[in-house]
Amino acid sequence: MPVDTFANMEEKLWILEDLNMMYIRQIALSLQDSDIQKKIDHEIRMRDGACKLLAACSQKDQTLEAAKSLQTCSTRIMAYMSELQRMKEAQVMQKVTRRSSDAGPMEDRLPCKGKVAISDLRIPLMWKDTEYFKNKGELHRCAVFCLLQLGGEIFDTDMVIVDRTLTDICFDNTIVFNEASPGFDLRVELYSCCSEDDYSAGSTPRKLASKLSSSLGRSAGKKLRAAMEPGPCSPVSNGGAGPLLLPVPSVPGPKYHLLAHTSLSLLHVQDSFRTHDLTISGNEECSYWLPLYGSVCCRLAAQPHCMTQQMMSGCLKVKQLGGDPQSWKKVYAVLKGTSLFCYHQQEDVEANVEPAFTIAVNKETRIRASEKDPQSKVQNIGISNQYGGEEVTHSLTTDSREDTHRWMEAFWQHFYDMSQWKQCCDDLMKIELPSPRKPAPVTPKQGSLYHEMVIESSNDLGTTVSDILARRMQELELRSHLGTSPTWMSVFEENSPKSTVRPRPCTPRLSGHSPCTPHRPPRSPLSPHRCPPLSLLSSDASLTSDSDSHGSTSPCSHRHGWPEPSSNLPLGSSSPCRPRPRTLSLDAKLSTLRGRAYGGGGTLQCSCQPHPSSLLTPFPVASCSPRSQRSAQATLSCSSSTSSNSSSNSEGSHSLESSEGAPFSRPSPARRSLRNLKARLDPRNWLQSQV
Amino acid sequence: MSNYIPGQPLTAVVERIEILKLRQGDNLILGFSIGGGIDQDPGQNPFTNDKTDKGIYVTRITEKGPAEVAGLREGDKIMQVNGWDMTMVTHDQARKRLTKKNQDVVRLLVTRRSLEEAVKHSMGPCLKP
Repeated sequence: MPVDTFANMEEKLWILEDLNMMYIRQIALSLQDSDIQKKIDHEIRMRDGACKLLAACSQKDQTLEAAKSLQTCSTRIMAYMSELQRMKEAQVMQKVTRRSSDAGPMEDRLPCKGKVAISDLRIPLMWKDTEYFKNKGELHRCAVFCLLQLGGEIFDTDMVIVDRTLTDICFDNTIVFNEASPGFDLRVELYSCCSEDDYSAGSTPRKLASKLSSSLGRSAGKKLRAAMEPGPCSPVSNGGAGPLLLPVPSVPGPKYHLLAHTSLSLLHVQDSFRTHDLTISGNEECSYWLPLYGSVCCRLAAQPHCMTQQMMSGCLKVKQLGGDPQSWKKVYAVLKGTSLFCYHQQEDVEANVEPAFTIAVNKETRIRASEKDPQSKVQNIGISNQYGGEEVTHSLTTDSREDTHRWMEAFWQHFYDMSQWKQCCDDLMKIELPSPRKPAPVTPKQGSLYHEMVIESSNDLGTTVSDILARRMQELELRSHLGTSPTWMSVFEENSPKSTVRPRPCTPRLSGHSPCTPHRPPRSPLSPHRCPPLSLLSSDASLTSDSDSHGSTSPCSHRHGWPEPSSNLPLGSSSPCRPRPRTLSLDAKLSTLRGRAYGGGGTLQCSCQPHPSSLLTPFPVASCSPRSQRSAQATLSCSSSTSSNSSSNSEGSHSLESSEGAPFSRPSPARRSLRNLKARLDPRNWLQSQV
Repeated sequence: MSNYIPGQPLTAVVERIEILKLRQGDNLILGFSIGGGIDQDPGQNPFTNDKTDKGIYVTRITEKGPAEVAGLREGDKIMQVNGWDMTMVTHDQARKRLTKKNQDVVRLLVTRRSLEEAVKHSMGPCLKP
């Protein structure tokens, strides 16, 4: 019976796992290496935790994060186990071929290790123009992250949700590997997992689900099927582990698949950004497929220890060749990087006092031991450099032969290191660790309503738009300025105005700043926030929202939805990028909205405290262009477009929170801001912005 | 700068400039102003002879600011910022690439006429017919 065989299989797997663990422990014991043992144990515990979390949590992004941790832990376990095996093999080999050491110790010089850092990973995508501009087809979303492996260290980047609104996949992380040898091999792997909400069990409201299921297109259906069955794009991504190594426990939930990979080495290291080729696995039929352009751009920097640490230090006597024999200077010398720093005293080194003088020690330098000094019977060391065509030689001498020998040895080692690390030793490359994430700045409460609106990045646009419109309606009603409702409310006129305006208990979603759900860091780009299809309601203004390239914190400048209904300003001519709706077809959205409105206005909640001050009749419309697809929680600061304009001539133009809410509270600034907006959009200008 | 044919690769002599942003309260500033962009009118760019050049130019440098300290000069054309191309961007895109809040350092590739000329001069003797 199938159930029994399945249970049997599981049991067998668990037994195998136990056996493997015992084997691992034996190896570790025999190698007397408890370090790796501890690491493996730690990773296995993490993996178990991730499995439990995966089984327990229901929210989509939590499952994705848990699956990512699972993938990382599995890869780390694999790496540790292979290392363990290698060490065991090496030990066995040593025992078998014991070389006699009478030939003299074969001292293979080992190059120094160094730090290798990779940052600003960016992977361009190549969407078909029909997908990108015309928004055809359903919105296919994938969750991606990168695994970076160098030596025994494996790190993962943050997870990014990618869909066709992005042109590039960007990872903000800087990953530093601490003990890399010059022959390192940094493997970059891009993992991707299809992240369609429709495919997760039980999370879709039934009405929506039935609607969708009856209207799945051909490609969507194919993908759905592919996601359900293992298929050719099988989720086994553990490198084809044989029965000896731990099998990956089969856990329900999203699985990441390897989408692309590349290997970087010393010759890719440079102090600036470079583009490298990616090897792509998978094809269009896979659910996790993304149209990659085929390259990855990043900054790969290396700091060998010979450039950052003191390789040798001690007391010396230095004189310049050709000077008189009595001009020996006693110094405390430190060999670091491309120089020999000579200080008056040892204490100066810690005190950061400037050295008395510096002798260059680089690729052009020649060092040789000279004839024995007749007086002291100790060899001198001569360091020769070319300074502008002239050869200048410094002589060093020490107190004893052993010291001289040690210095010579240090110089040879240093030259060897420089020859191995090549271009990394020309100049010290900078590695910046990212500053710890600051919490999103709290916007000071402004007078305007718009600064305090928070849109939950729900995928259901209907709620969002209805919320906003309901709020507006409420304000309008409260103010009783308007006799007639604004034109856009006609969309909802099936619903009695009462129900739209019925104030619901305010859920505390109001905040001056971004995150409401604590697990969403403000910077991680989340599900794309779709523009409301309200472009229908103003003449030709097409809604744009800014597409920030990546990772910038939530507020970014906004454009008015429509400055005046009568103007035909094509918005976005000067502002970024791509004026396009990002949603399902307009009709679908509108019908959903209507459906919701019919549904008793149940979703129309007053989710923020209406502010008494802000309404302005010339701008009756909620410039509720919700956030661009990047930000998690949209802090609506609709005035920010103009304020960024006005503040662009003051300092710090990009901090849009500092924008005054003023433009909306007084008519004249509003007109001014409108003029500013027109100025910005007028292509006959040549704008200047301060950064 | 040089004649630019759309669609063809562009070569230029560039200088690498690393600017460490300065923190002023809640902001990180670089200390210069930019002008230009594909959505702007290139005819008004005073820093280039080629009046069809829609690139991003440095129009003003704050004295003793981070940009000046790093070696940026007025009139420089910014080709690349942290790996992102700046030769074909809108003005606002350019501003955004420079003002990312989570970045403390921006690495620019800039070009200026004096660089091109310096290279030409150093190659001078070789260009004999």
